[in-house]
Amino acid sequence: MKISKKIIDNLKKGGVDFYLSVPCKLLANMIDILEKDKNVYYSAVPREEEGMGICAGAYLGNKFPCIMMQNTGIGNSVNAIVSLLQLYQMPIVFLISYRGTPGEPVGAQGGMAKITEDILQTLRIPMLHCSSENDLEKISTFSKHAKVVESPVAILCDFNLMKDDK
Amino acid sequence: MNRFDLLNKIQNILKDNLVICNIGLPSQELYKINDQPNFFYMLGSMGLSSSIGLGLSLSQNKNVVSIDGDGSVLMNMNTLATIGNRAPSNYTLLIIDNGSYGSTGDQRTFTDENTSLKDVAIGAGCKNVVECSGDETVNELSKAIDDQNNSYVIISKINSGNVKIDPIPLNPITIRDRFRKFIGIVKYL
Repeated sequence: MKISKKIIDNLKKGGVDFYLSVPCKLLANMIDILEKDKNVYYSAVPREEEGMGICAGAYLGNKFPCIMMQNTGIGNSVNAIVSLLQLYQMPIVFLISYRGTPGEPVGAQGGMAKITEDILQTLRIPMLHCSSENDLEKISTFSKHAKVVESPVAILCDFNLMKDDK
Repeated sequence: MNRFDLLNKIQNILKDNLVICNIGLPSQELYKINDQPNFFYMLGSMGLSSSIGLGLSLSQNKNVVSIDGDGSVLMNMNTLATIGNRAPSNYTLLIIDNGSYGSTGDQRTFTDENTSLKDVAIGAGCKNVVECSGDETVNELSKAIDDQNNSYVIISKINSGNVKIDPIPLNPITIRDRFRKFIGIVKYL
């Protein structure tokens, strides 16, 4: 719970006040925290691409949104990222559980893991790669950076960082 | 009645509301009929008009009308479930259902065959789902907007067919900022 709490605390410190998720077991603790938090909006959504649209609308309405998802969700969302979030320069935070990184027990997750950073680089999305607890301190500044540069940004949380967060 | 005729008929009702308008001909037609700063024209991301409007209605109090199409809703049908569970009372989804992919040459969609978006919306949990003709749409949309206590999904069944029209000349950031200025967020314009 310590890691998840630190991530949410830093996102909130960065100004993020609207959260969606397509659940992942590595995100489960964060979802629990957000569901009990009366000061921010949280909902699950069925699909990441749709979540990008809802986040875009929330940004238009003056929220600072974050969508939490597995790295597979980036694959589901490429056109929405480019022709909505980037076209209209909308700051949205992607909080990504980085499935398929070392520690991952499910071999099939390795495929998307191999190309996740390449996709984000191709999309010119600034990345913050969190592999240890110390990295989490950077999340608030990095979130604020999204607003300054009016761009979606991606925070990648490694499997091994999240897996023991009981 | 085709989409252009319908947009002409409803433009007056839209003027005090925040409108998210679907990519392609719907946006181009609405722009040509009566461009307004409270119209957010989608220049990409087909399928997401309903979702963008949902996010907007969840984040501020003004009424929101998402103008979507049958082809676009078929592309992002899961969002009807999100609307069915999360839409606040200031949200109205208007699906202009002409049974065709109008912007790409009027190829038939599945709503022209076996699919009923009304049944899908009801099954997805949407409240106040209304299917009506183009002529009835003005009344149904007015009712939905005036009702401060409920969200609505209106499926307006019209004919296919388009008018010849140019792309929207506005820059995306112009569309974004004048829209946010109308809401009261952007102060520098």
